[in-house]
Amino acid sequence: MAVCIAVIAKENYPLYIRSVPTENELKFHYTVHTSLDVVDEKISAMGKALVDQRELYLGLLYPTEDYKVYGYVTNSRVKFVMVVDSSNTALRDNEIRSMFRKLHNSYTDIMCNPFYNPGDRIHSRAFDNMVNSMMMQVC
Amino acid sequence: AMESRELFVLTYGALVAQLCKDYEKDEDVNTFLDRMGYGIGVRLIDDFLARSAVKKCRSYSETADMIAQVAFKMYLGVTPSVSCSNTAGNEFSLILDKNPLVDFVEELPAERASLCYCNLLCGVIRGALEMVHLAAEVTFLRDRLKGDAVTEIGITFLRKAEDRNELVTTT
Repeated sequence: MAVCIAVIAKENYPLYIRSVPTENELKFHYTVHTSLDVVDEKISAMGKALVDQRELYLGLLYPTEDYKVYGYVTNSRVKFVMVVDSSNTALRDNEIRSMFRKLHNSYTDIMCNPFYNPGDRIHSRAFDNMVNSMMMQVC
Repeated sequence: AMESRELFVLTYGALVAQLCKDYEKDEDVNTFLDRMGYGIGVRLIDDFLARSAVKKCRSYSETADMIAQVAFKMYLGVTPSVSCSNTAGNEFSLILDKNPLVDFVEELPAERASLCYCNLLCGVIRGALEMVHLAAEVTFLRDRLKGDAVTEIGITFLRKAEDRNELVTTT
């Protein structure tokens, strides 16, 4: 269960960002923004890497006191960033991977929508529902 | 057959999106889609008749069944359900449970609320019917993309098949 999920365009601006609880939104915007440097570092370290599932998933970008930030980059250089609560130790690596895979699949569905222009902010009920299913339930 | 469907659906989507950029009014886009569909229909009918090798339809009801159960199946892989909507026997309704053309379209953009996204289909049916000497009006009566519960195409046959000879002489 994530506390923040973001989709970032290859030009490094947000296409979609959702966090719970919503009061902390600005803080998460900042967290995601700072994580992009780490993402860019990892991408350049990859070099001309293979188009492999393993290479798309970037793993833990950096831990903070309260959160862990994970990253995933697509072949078109669109990035997904996921922030999870540090206290959530139950969340395993392969669960994070499968969450990213679901995000990626939903993202490609959005790309196939003829009315969606690549680079637009994402406004999709189906995408919202999928993200909701991955976010922490706020009591 | 399945492999090219995605390309076809994406192509159709690109076509509609481009028409939306070219024409401000939904009605204009709808008209253009219908016209293009008509051009496809008058050509597609020969392909359909050749590949389906069906016998001549003896009634409007048979014709409507043919469209839903054979033509839709052949070209879109779906079979809408058919029902006759009036006692005179010339109005029919095709209910599309699944519509591959809208697979990737979640909903119409807010500024395109009157767009008949699949209006090409109406033109196709109208054009095809005309080539077998059946005049018909074909429109979308209901559309899931517009918030309706189902997607429904209405076909109204305009002249009785028996009057076909009259049709030739009175024009």
